[in-house]
Amino acid sequence: MQTELEHLIQMANQIVANNSFQKDIEQTAATTANHLQKFWARSMKKQIIDYAAQDGSDLSPAAKLAVQQLAS
Amino acid sequence: MIEIFDPKALDPNKDYGTPPSLSETLVTLDIDGVSVTVPEGTSVLRAAALADINIPKLCASDNLESFGSCRICAVEIAGRRGFPASCTTPVEAGMQVNTQTEKVAKLRRNIMELYISDHPLDCLTCPSNGDCELQDMAGAVGLREVRYGFDGDNHLDAAKDESNPYFTFDPSKCIVCSRCVRACEEVQGTFALTVDGRGFESTIAAGQDESFLESDCVSCGACVQACPTSTLMEKSVIDAGQPEHSVVTTCAYCGVGCSFKAEMKGDQVIRMVPYKGGDANMGHSCVKGRFAFGYATHKDRITDPMIRDSIDQPWRAVSWDEAIGFAAGRFKSIQAEHGRESLGGITSSRCTNEETYLVQKLIRAGFGNNNTDTCARVCHSPTGYGLKVTLGESAGTQTFESVLQSDVIMVVGANPTDAHPVFGSLLRKRLRQGAKLIVADPRQIDLLKTPHLSEAIHLPLRPGTNVALINALAHVIVTEGLEDRAFIAERCSDNSYDQWRAFIQHETNSPEKMAEVTGVPASSVREAARLFANAGNGSIYYGLGVTEHSQGSTMVMGIANLALATGNIGREGVGVNPLRGQNNVQGSCDMGSFPHDLPGYQHISDDAARGRFEAEWGVKLDNEPGLRIPNMFDAAIAGHFKGMYVQGEDIAQSDPNLHHVEAALKSLDCLVVQDIFLNETARFAHVLLPGSTFLEKDGTFTNAERRINRVRKVMAPLGGKQDWEVTMMLSNALGYPMDYSHPSEIMDEIARLTPTFTGVSYDKLEELGSIQWPCNELYPEGTPTMHVTDFPIGKGEFAVTEYLATEERASRRFPLLLTTGRILSQYNVGAQTRRTDNQMWHDEDVLELHPSDAETRGIQDGDWLGISSRVGQTVLRAVLSERMQPGVVYTTFHHPDSGANVITTDNSDWATNCPEYKVTAVQVEKVSQPSEWQQNFVSFRDQQNALLEKGRRREGI
Repeated sequence: MQTELEHLIQMANQIVANNSFQKDIEQTAATTANHLQKFWARSMKKQIIDYAAQDGSDLSPAAKLAVQQLAS
Repeated sequence: MIEIFDPKALDPNKDYGTPPSLSETLVTLDIDGVSVTVPEGTSVLRAAALADINIPKLCASDNLESFGSCRICAVEIAGRRGFPASCTTPVEAGMQVNTQTEKVAKLRRNIMELYISDHPLDCLTCPSNGDCELQDMAGAVGLREVRYGFDGDNHLDAAKDESNPYFTFDPSKCIVCSRCVRACEEVQGTFALTVDGRGFESTIAAGQDESFLESDCVSCGACVQACPTSTLMEKSVIDAGQPEHSVVTTCAYCGVGCSFKAEMKGDQVIRMVPYKGGDANMGHSCVKGRFAFGYATHKDRITDPMIRDSIDQPWRAVSWDEAIGFAAGRFKSIQAEHGRESLGGITSSRCTNEETYLVQKLIRAGFGNNNTDTCARVCHSPTGYGLKVTLGESAGTQTFESVLQSDVIMVVGANPTDAHPVFGSLLRKRLRQGAKLIVADPRQIDLLKTPHLSEAIHLPLRPGTNVALINALAHVIVTEGLEDRAFIAERCSDNSYDQWRAFIQHETNSPEKMAEVTGVPASSVREAARLFANAGNGSIYYGLGVTEHSQGSTMVMGIANLALATGNIGREGVGVNPLRGQNNVQGSCDMGSFPHDLPGYQHISDDAARGRFEAEWGVKLDNEPGLRIPNMFDAAIAGHFKGMYVQGEDIAQSDPNLHHVEAALKSLDCLVVQDIFLNETARFAHVLLPGSTFLEKDGTFTNAERRINRVRKVMAPLGGKQDWEVTMMLSNALGYPMDYSHPSEIMDEIARLTPTFTGVSYDKLEELGSIQWPCNELYPEGTPTMHVTDFPIGKGEFAVTEYLATEERASRRFPLLLTTGRILSQYNVGAQTRRTDNQMWHDEDVLELHPSDAETRGIQDGDWLGISSRVGQTVLRAVLSERMQPGVVYTTFHHPDSGANVITTDNSDWATNCPEYKVTAVQVEKVSQPSEWQQNFVSFRDQQNALLEKGRRREGI
């Protein structure tokens, strides 16, 4: 069974994948960060931000960038 | 002079004999010396009825085309020979009609005499005594004798057919007026009945002379309602006698939201009769709403509040105060220990708007967080997201009646004849009139077998490839220059259109390329695209086959793109129409059930909107969205989410990957379930609060057309409280005061806070019957058709909808794709319908598979099959069916022990987390015993039922 964090990583990557058509990584990250800001709960944001800061290896590059933008 | 323009302003309780004419040309004629003006095409019978001149009739009814078989409505018309039947004679200017002359009276008596000579004279003991048109007409024509006697050939000994659980067919009382046959054809569209034989031998027959139950009859009740005698009669009336009063209310099954008259004896519902004044159903019904209401008084109803410390203990029946105090105490201590965000709740899409509003208010204001969600999460949340982005409002654009003006109807991932049967009948009516049909569905759905269907194209795509298909359709429209340029230029944002156009024209989106993915021949896609684009009015209807995918939101936006590109928005006969699943799922979304949306889809981070709620509610609200249902489960397993308040929702049966759901529920410290039964979720609960059915409460439901309909209480709540009263008690016990004395006060508060509801009130609902939101200063009587002149976001937005394959793929180990759906006689998790005689049609979920898939595995009809996915295994019986395409298998989830959701996965829509119920890679094989999950399920259920019984026995209940 997936852990909560694994699920969050999968979701973030999935949002990126669905918003990257003909966009550069900056644009995709901005769209993704906006989506996370609007629809994710505080605890979900915190976990993914902590993960991106400490490791982040399972996040796609755009997802990692999006989470970093979310943190700032 | 009497002038009648608007057929809807009429008395819904009166039968005007023939349907209204919609002509705008008016004709004036004289009936019995009264000058009457009616639309051209109106029958003389109806014109007279409009002037309250009531000509006797037997074979005529205003929901059926005139037939002219009984001749009892004969009249005299100046300048015409003989006695024309007024039902089949259209009005003409200057016509002079006499409805009551000596000759006509004699003729009518003679006809009636013939009828009665072959009809039993047992009126006093007949079930329709007091409600019989034959009896009334015999009285009206003054029948005093039957000169033929009763000894000749007759049908008085004809045998009854009692096979249908809800009504009896007694041919000895039949007058062969054929109203039942015509209702089955014209109203329901099933064509299950016929008049068999000729002349004296004529009898009504179901199917190929089968019993009603064995025939194609879908038990919608239209024939029973149409019957002027007691030939087709509800068994409940045969048992109990005629009802003595009635109350108009709204059905609590699907999202069509039919209006019914609950016909009562005291506080006992005798029958539910579809209400002609109901704007959603216009007098029609289905087997669920019409007949399956007995669950409301089923012995399994929970009527006492109950508590227990842990889920392995027996339940204890306690007072309301003790149960509420127990729940509030636990919730408070959870928050003290684990923080404000450790609690959450689920509002019910089966409860009223007012109740849903109150639960989310309790969570936001009482719990102090936004951890509120509703079952729309697992069905139409992508609709909310996708339509908001493209059209600016999270709702369908039309009335149901709008379909009668469609020229081409596209149905995507929906099965209306099973899941939205009354709308399905309306749709079939339009198809019989010649509208063309496009169906995009992996299965051959029944709509494709509509009798008298003209042109239909089936696009049998592989599950999971919706977006590929919708893009291919749009590609054809754009590259062949079929789009509506004027509409796009005037109504849509240029920037979004240019981007989308560049994207969709790309070769990768062509039907030829996409055929490899979808499995649909490119020629069919091109043909369908051309048909849709060239339609005068093209409408799209869709269901959960669109939303319940990893790209559910993308697909909703793809559908909106198609409607925008072809200019099919903003008038009758067109539009984007999500067919909503549960009775109030539209309403539960409107009422702020989603964690990020306050009522009226106002984002929680919008300071101005949140400020209005804070002022009205007198508390500071959290400006961050809360957890959605699947996130709550994850958080519970992770250990930082500890308590839940679940109203009228059975997540332990309806949600995907049940192993995961059960693990989450077991890790809660306090689960409060408010429901009418000990449902699957309640087996994991610590507090069980009795819920009330729609018959026991006042409130409103909002259907798929955004139509707000009144729900009216016809009996006292069995547990003593309506659901909104229970939420109020819990809130007060938690220290957040709520004080309402009637749901109308809650609606007034909603109207104060929700811009699309400012004009809604119970008084206005009384006056108008129903209201389609938005209803405000701009649209004081509501909005039947949305986006007529502009969009709430100004211009329509095209969205780039790139197809991405789902991660859930068939493989060598799991070579088949499972898709799930619904069946006509059962509703959702079946908690209601399984407790009625609807069980006779579907008492177990089965696995449908194509004969070729069965053959390679040595499977035969009726074999037990083990179905394994990457997350679980269950066992169901096999049904071989050519409705399926090879490689795709299908089941329903109406029975908890089927465990259909043990095999569905956690995969979900990227934007909303709506689960991907429609695509699960599986393998099937013959087995000899239930799955391990099913065996555990049965022992856990038996254990929990025993714990419930212990609690009940102790209290002597």
